[in-house]
Amino acid sequence: MAEEQKQTYEILSETYEQEMLAKKKAGKKGGRLERPPKLTITSLMDILTILLVFLLKSYSTDPVAVTPSADLDLVKSKTMLQPEQTVTITVSKSAILVDNAMALAVKDGKVDGSQKRGGEDGYFIIPLNKMLADGMEKQRRIAAVNPSAGKTLGVATIIMDGDTPFRLLTEVMYTAGQAEFNKFKFLTISSPEG
Amino acid sequence: MARKRKELEPDTDVNLIPAMNLILILIPLLITAMETLKLAVINVATPQIGPSSEVTPPDQAPDEKPLKLTIALTDRGFHLYARDQVIENKDDPLGPTIPKKDGEEVVDGKPVPGKVYDYDRLSQMLSDIKDENPVEENIIITAESHIKYRYIIQVMDASREKKEGDKKKTLFPNVVLSAGVA
Repeated sequence: MAEEQKQTYEILSETYEQEMLAKKKAGKKGGRLERPPKLTITSLMDILTILLVFLLKSYSTDPVAVTPSADLDLVKSKTMLQPEQTVTITVSKSAILVDNAMALAVKDGKVDGSQKRGGEDGYFIIPLNKMLADGMEKQRRIAAVNPSAGKTLGVATIIMDGDTPFRLLTEVMYTAGQAEFNKFKFLTISSPEG
Repeated sequence: MARKRKELEPDTDVNLIPAMNLILILIPLLITAMETLKLAVINVATPQIGPSSEVTPPDQAPDEKPLKLTIALTDRGFHLYARDQVIENKDDPLGPTIPKKDGEEVVDGKPVPGKVYDYDRLSQMLSDIKDENPVEENIIITAESHIKYRYIIQVMDASREKKEGDKKKTLFPNVVLSAGVA
C-alpha cells in the first residue's frame, strides 16, 4: 500500500520534471503547471483563530463612548473606577450636550446670561435643566420596569474639557441637582502614573 | 487501487479559503474597535451652596467640632481649612497654606516655566491630617471661579491617596464640591 503510493508519487514527480524540462526547452519560463503546488494554510488558520478568539474576548463595549476632539480635551487621573451606564453631560469648549444631544452653546467657558435664571450671576441653566429633567423622567420609566437600572437613578456622568472654569462646573452641577441628580461621576482618562 | 486513491484525493482537503477571508476581515475590524483609551470615573457629591454642614461623619463625637477639611484653589496656591479655621502657612501667615512653586507648566503640549501647584506638599499635609483623624473620609474642594477643571481633578487625585513606597495610603476619598470662592 505504502509502496504503491510511493511509486505513484515518483511517477508523478518524474512527469513533473519532464514537463518542466520540455517547457524550458521550448523557451517558456515559469509556465503554468497543470497541477499547481498546494499551500498548507491550516497552521495559519490556527494562529488566526486563536487571535480572533483573543480579540473577541478583549473586546468590550464601554458604557460611555467619547469621541476625542480638539474641543474636548479629557483630563488624566489616577482613578481606576469603571464608568457606568448613566445620563451623560458633556461640556466641551463650544457646547453642552446631554446624552450626545445638543443642549446649548458655550462661549469662552461661559453660558450666555440669557440662558440662565437670574442672568449672568445665575447658576440655573434653563435649557440644560429641561433636557436633564427629560433624561431623569426617562431613567425613572426604565427603572420602573427594570430594577437593576434603578441603581444608577439620579447619577450623571460629567465629561468635561480640561480648560473649563470651575464656575461653569458648579453651574452644571447645580442645574443637574435641580433636576434631581445627586451623584456625579467625572469621566477622566485613567492613567495610574498620573 | 492506486487509481481509485488518485481519484479520491482532491476531496480530502477542506477548502479553508472562505473561512480565512472571514477571519482576515474580522481581525482588523476588532483591532480598530478596541479601546485604546482607558476611561475611569471619580465619584463626586453634589455641590453645596452655603455652609456644608452635612459632611460630618456619623461616628464622630457630638461635642467635637467636625473636621470639615476644605481645600480652596486660588491663583496663589492652596488654602486649607479645618474645623472652620485656616491652616496657616508659617512662612507667610497672610498667604495661602501651600503656595505655588516654581516649575514647568504644559501649555499646548509645550512646557512653559512658571508657577505650578505643589501637589506633593498638599498630599503630605493631607496625610498628616489623616493620621490625626483616621476616621474622616470627606473633603470639600472649592475654587475661584476661573480655576480650570484639570487642576480640580489633580487636587482630587492628590487628596484621594498617597503613595508610600509600594503601598498606597487612602486619604480622603469622598469628595464634595462646594460653590466657588469669590
